[in-house]
Amino acid sequence: MEVIKDIFDFKDFSRIEKVILPLFFIFLLIFPWTTRSSFAKAVMINFMLYSIFAMGWNSIGGHGGQVALGNAQYVGIGAYTVALFMVWWNMPYWFSMPVGVIIAIGWSLMIGYPLFRLRGHYFAIATIAVSLVLQDIFLNWELVGEARGICLPFKETPNFLYMEFTSENYYYYFLFAIFAAGFLYMNWFRKSKLAYQLKALKANEDAADSLGVDIRWAKTKAYAITATFAAVGGSFYAVYHMYIDPYAIMCLDLSILIALTAMLGGAGSFWGPIIGAAILVPLDRYLGAWLGGIRVLLGVDFMIYAFMIMVIAAVEPRGIWGLVLRARKRR
Amino acid sequence: MGVLVSQALVSGILMGLVFSLIALGLTIIFGVMNIVNFAHGEFLMIGMYAAYWSAVILSMEPLLTLPIAAAVGFALGIASYYLLVRHLLRGPMIAQLLGTFGLMLFLRYLALFIFGPNFKTLSKGILIGKTSMMGPVVIDWSKFFIGLLSLAGFLLVYWLISYTKTGKALLATSIDAEAASYMGIKTEWMNGLAWGLGGATVGIAGALLTNFYYVYPTIGMLFCMLAFATVALGGFGSIKGAFLAGLIIGLIETFFGQFVSSELKFAVIYALYFIVVALRPEGMFGWK
Repeated sequence: MEVIKDIFDFKDFSRIEKVILPLFFIFLLIFPWTTRSSFAKAVMINFMLYSIFAMGWNSIGGHGGQVALGNAQYVGIGAYTVALFMVWWNMPYWFSMPVGVIIAIGWSLMIGYPLFRLRGHYFAIATIAVSLVLQDIFLNWELVGEARGICLPFKETPNFLYMEFTSENYYYYFLFAIFAAGFLYMNWFRKSKLAYQLKALKANEDAADSLGVDIRWAKTKAYAITATFAAVGGSFYAVYHMYIDPYAIMCLDLSILIALTAMLGGAGSFWGPIIGAAILVPLDRYLGAWLGGIRVLLGVDFMIYAFMIMVIAAVEPRGIWGLVLRARKRR
Repeated sequence: MGVLVSQALVSGILMGLVFSLIALGLTIIFGVMNIVNFAHGEFLMIGMYAAYWSAVILSMEPLLTLPIAAAVGFALGIASYYLLVRHLLRGPMIAQLLGTFGLMLFLRYLALFIFGPNFKTLSKGILIGKTSMMGPVVIDWSKFFIGLLSLAGFLLVYWLISYTKTGKALLATSIDAEAASYMGIKTEWMNGLAWGLGGATVGIAGALLTNFYYVYPTIGMLFCMLAFATVALGGFGSIKGAFLAGLIIGLIETFFGQFVSSELKFAVIYALYFIVVALRPEGMFGWK
């Protein structure tokens, strides 16, 4: 009971946040009915997907201050489990998705525990290394389709068991449900004991240790949460695109993008990942659609995007949420 | 079999010398100011393009483009420091990562915008395409001299840091920046110099690589990761460590690539890196 109360408890939100929260969810709910553009819907689906990734990253990277840069490996584990189970044994999504999550958690424990002896840069680069090893293995492993990737089998009729639909709206609402669940979970998480332990070790690891926080175990648990969010998002990616390959979902660029989304919005803050995704995803898609079509301007969209990242890092390292906090202080 | 082994040994050592030179810049920057430069691979890419275009446009001998690439790398390093990195230092580590990532993406797509996505290789040059036999072992001239030049470049920088006054000031800053500033060392300039020096060494490495490697805008990632692995293996901030680790990684790359699987050779290097940092986070010669 206590837990359920905590999940829906938004009492500590500021007045503006209390207004924005229902408006935001109402907007998400009615969005598919406001437009017929499937491009806009795809942008919104990607917005929610990257919010989920970034919310997950926020648990280890934001609350715990451990910059993990290998999240694409968990996205890959989630996506590959769903895809392979469907191709090999015709397993429904609802069975393979939880299995993928369990595998991702297991893998995160296996690599997380030795890695959490490392601090700062060492940890960040080590997570990249592990992720690249996994990508290289998948790129050259015949059983999982090597670099060619895997196409998911098409079903004859739209199918809830295998999450295959003809209309984008179904995918939209399915992802919305996951997004809402993740949102509420993070609302509970930020008030949990683990979140306070992470906050303590982020501020000063030695002090937290001396006060009896099991640092390695706290980090490992937070990392498992990160892996869960990534794997769930990855499983959605597989059924949404119907095609996966290691370049698309296990590459370093995706890992970086996940971390950037959260850091741009504001690492460690509740709204940060969502703000980050709300800016980066539409920016990326619309700039790409607008400038990417012009051959002469190849790469300009990413230059604008990279420039923004540098400005944010130099001017307000707490991200956009930091700007909000500053504005609030001034009042 | 004996021939294959000695062939792999020779190419491994030669490639390793290049890896050492690439990693040198990264380890200098890290040693002096405790920042990991994620744009390091992009610095290399820009050094490669600088060498490529000056060789093509001015129809220069590729080896003579070394000073140009070094100057471009130096300027790039200094500019990065004063325009960006200096402002990142106030923030937490996360801001530094974010900032150098931004720089990495920016340089990569700037190169894509200016130079286009195509692979470029040099076809003319005194070293290009020439080989000779040393007993049964085939020696590619470009790789051989580039290995030697990498070694020379490495030794030059090592000498600069260990024996000149500026180098000693740099070393002092890396050991304790605050104490160094009390001794009258301008640490701000030392930081800038570290970035300039880092950029120059990796620019030279890029110009050398252009003699036998193709260049394209996204090449930086692979070499950046290899440089990270090299630096971590040798110990962050350690120059001797970077040298030895570069050789080790060059040997692993060629031996594994030749005798086991050429697709998985980089995976093995990353895995080795993972094992080393998990067992001994400070690397072989690290002191930070």
